[in-house]
Amino acid sequence: MALIELRDVTKAYKRDAIEIPVLDRVSITVPEGDFLGLMGPSGSGKSTLLNLLAGIDRPSRGAIRIGDTEISTLSERALAAWRSRHIGFIFQLYNLIPVLTAFENVELPLLLTNLSKKQRRDHVLTALGIVGLGDREKHYPRQLSGGQEQRVAIARAIVTDPTLLLADEPTGDLDAKSASEVLTLLQRLNGEYQKTIVMVTHDPHAAERAKRVLHLEKGTLVEAQQQVG
Amino acid sequence: MKFLGLVLKSAKRSKRRTLLTVMSVAIAVFLFAALRAVLDGFNAGAEAASSTRVVTIRSTSLMFQMPISHLETIKNIPGVQDVTYASWFGGIYKDPKNFFGQFAVDPEGYLRMYPEILLTPVERKAFLDDRTGCIIGEGLARTYGFKVGDKITLQVGIPIYGQRDYDFTVRAIYRSGGAAVDNQSMMFHWKYADERSMLKGQIGWYVTQIANPDQAPQIMRAIDEKFANSPYETKTDTERAFQTSFVSMFGNLNLLLGSIALAVVITTLFVAANTMAMSVRERTTEIAVMRTLGFPSATIFLLVAGEGLLMATVGGILGIGVAYTIVNPRFLNAGGFIPEIGVNNTNVLVALALSVGIGVLAGLIPATMASRLKIVDALRRVA
Repeated sequence: MALIELRDVTKAYKRDAIEIPVLDRVSITVPEGDFLGLMGPSGSGKSTLLNLLAGIDRPSRGAIRIGDTEISTLSERALAAWRSRHIGFIFQLYNLIPVLTAFENVELPLLLTNLSKKQRRDHVLTALGIVGLGDREKHYPRQLSGGQEQRVAIARAIVTDPTLLLADEPTGDLDAKSASEVLTLLQRLNGEYQKTIVMVTHDPHAAERAKRVLHLEKGTLVEAQQQVG
Repeated sequence: MKFLGLVLKSAKRSKRRTLLTVMSVAIAVFLFAALRAVLDGFNAGAEAASSTRVVTIRSTSLMFQMPISHLETIKNIPGVQDVTYASWFGGIYKDPKNFFGQFAVDPEGYLRMYPEILLTPVERKAFLDDRTGCIIGEGLARTYGFKVGDKITLQVGIPIYGQRDYDFTVRAIYRSGGAAVDNQSMMFHWKYADERSMLKGQIGWYVTQIANPDQAPQIMRAIDEKFANSPYETKTDTERAFQTSFVSMFGNLNLLLGSIALAVVITTLFVAANTMAMSVRERTTEIAVMRTLGFPSATIFLLVAGEGLLMATVGGILGIGVAYTIVNPRFLNAGGFIPEIGVNNTNVLVALALSVGIGVLAGLIPATMASRLKIVDALRRVA
């Protein structure tokens, strides 16, 4: 069964009176357990597509269904609640909160749940263990390397056991070694934990780690590759 | 409760800024509480004023005196039970900065009129029997270390009292039995001052005891009518109005101090609001990230507003604490004009409410900004 279904999704931004089209009638189906790479030049609309999937932006036209939920019709409040349950988002610049330790950063999404303090602690330690940073729970982001920060960010994304992991250029700010570690981790999450992942990337090496890759150009899906992984 | 940690961590993000914001609120609350204490102190005398005492002064101003001959005239007005008099001496004890109230009074009549001046019969007799004797309020005695038997010398402050210094012997330390009488003043025999005065037989004000408070308006009118069209016309008012007018010699204190307090509070509100807004602007990405993680707008609003509230409340408690410590007669010498200076419970509550108000108002705009942030725009701004 398809986990993600985009039907004729169009997105245009308004700058003053001018409407700038970003996505033009994009239709994609992503099955559960897929690891999809989205590639394309700057301005092709791949990050916009990711934002639409995350429910942090709304399509101008078209419909987006994730699981059983038609997210394009949800209210802001319902969308926030849906995000907290179903989406794990990994940013290019990690976006950890600098005044919180690795533990507290990972715990952040769990504060929105009804879990007890002990249950939250167990979840956080599990997530940090999966990304190999169980011994760094008390470290602040400034005390971690870029690769470690991104792994903490991945732990934050998976700690609620979301339906879908979305990664926006997760290796864009990392050296080759750290990038490889992060990509291996994502592959492991997909293979071992059956997480469905959609990853936006510029990097062909990163895209090679995905099961399949879609290319966007000027807001249109131009090419679809078969599974590579 | 689980979000309190987040609020605390955010507040600690820029320790210097948080400290400065807390201090600005603390100073505002301190000033507010201190000014309220001063105003309440001024008003306490008026609040406790007797309804059976009326006070007669010159119609022109309390600054001008009138003849002692008015005494008999007032005594003979129907409804009048007793009359006494007093004058402001305005002497200098060692240094002009050692300011306290000194009143030349009709000793027997004054003590009869003001049973709130508490003396033992022995103390009372000692004072009445000594023409150069004086009584000192216990608060004033504490401030300057005056004891019974001490010699006090006052330099002349108002030229009509001559040029030579006045020597007094402390005959008693009185206690105040009510807010109508402060414990920060000195009283002595009017005759002693009158002997050396360049204008003999002059009185600052008369205090009249009336039998029935309901008759006060008629009696006050009758007193003033007796002296109408004379060189020394009078203005008689209730003791409360007199207390108020005594204070108003310094101008409209309620308005002045109230305006200062209000200006300080409003300025602090702007400072705190600006600081909060700056802090939110710096955290745009973080807020966008939290929203992406699923934090609802309402939670973001409460987190930011909570931070403002926390800083303002801590500042408020600090300010109240300092006011409580400093604003009392041991630290502040109000020269007898403020009988019971101190931060009372009502002022504590009002000041605390004020700091909470500053916190809520200062956080309102930044919290709204944060909760209405468009996630995609905020993330794009940094990426």
